[in-house]
Amino acid sequence: MLRKALLLLMLTAGLMLVVVAGVLNYRERARAVAAARATKVDLVKDGVATDSPNVDETLRGKPAPNFTLASLDGKKVSLADFKGHPLVLNFWGTYCDPCKIEMPWLEQLSKKYAAQGFDVVGVTYDAEVGKAKIASATQQLGVTYPILLSDSKVEDAYLSNTEVLPISFWVDRNGKVVNVTAGLSSDEATAKNALEAQVQQTIAAN
Amino acid sequence: MKRTLLTLVLLTAPAALTIPRVSAQLGNLSGPTVTKSYVTYTALPQTVPANHRATLELHFRVLTGYHVNSNKPTESYLIPTALTVPAASGVKTGEATYPAGQPYSFSFDPKTKLSVYAGDFIVKLPVTAASGAHSIDATLRYQACNNASCFQPKNLPVKIDFTAK
Repeated sequence: MLRKALLLLMLTAGLMLVVVAGVLNYRERARAVAAARATKVDLVKDGVATDSPNVDETLRGKPAPNFTLASLDGKKVSLADFKGHPLVLNFWGTYCDPCKIEMPWLEQLSKKYAAQGFDVVGVTYDAEVGKAKIASATQQLGVTYPILLSDSKVEDAYLSNTEVLPISFWVDRNGKVVNVTAGLSSDEATAKNALEAQVQQTIAAN
Repeated sequence: MKRTLLTLVLLTAPAALTIPRVSAQLGNLSGPTVTKSYVTYTALPQTVPANHRATLELHFRVLTGYHVNSNKPTESYLIPTALTVPAASGVKTGEATYPAGQPYSFSFDPKTKLSVYAGDFIVKLPVTAASGAHSIDATLRYQACNNASCFQPKNLPVKIDFTAK
């Protein structure tokens, strides 16, 4: 009888511990989520933008996430296909004028540094506009480097913390992201020089 | 019976060990992209005559340092700022009218002239409404840039509340 009562008491205590653990867990999660949201969201104050270049540096110093995407000409292209080559992965959109200013410069640099194994890979963020419009845009820009069509996986891997275009991920020959850049500098000469300097740094990185 | 009770006790005992480890269960809090709005809408109370054509004014503000394409951008590939208004009971709406855009060029591309809204702008919506309070859940689509980069197109909810009497 006593033994039964003891066992029942221990069972009740155990169940109560489960409930208490659950409640404490929930409260801790809610507190932490609220704290994370508070530090993450409020970039706007009194109608004035308070953030600056909007570059997401999460991937800097890390291996570039692999991907396999469809190219504009219907092939499957993976990051692994460029193994051993320093490269830039440039996200752009057909509605993005700064992107379209930069892309012909990337085309020139892809030819100038091809002998050093440097590759340029474009990823179209707004693939939903259709291949015809994308092809028309790239032809007008004189772009011949590969153009890939973005999907949700590559966006989750590279764009989960940013919504700016153009954004470029500079990957060294060992597959490490050595820099992330976004937007263009204030004048054409400065922007072009900065772009070429970044190409040279990416080739030299090891 | 004893064995059953003992088994149940042994199964629930590990629950005690979960209390100090709550923080390990929080998982990935980084979450999806910050969804920032570059245009804000200010809902102002409006009253119009019932059963007569009237015009509602919808007030928008583009964040300082940003611009959005006007309703008539200079290039076909640019995404225009445009209001979409669903059908609403007791209200007939007409075509919205938009202000003219301001000229703008990126400093790294002075040759390309764009037509944009910056700062405050008003979109006018003709309505003919039956007597009473009305609410329409419209949407403003826009695509913003600053002086160096552009941002993904967005849909801004525009709750239009007004009274006809």
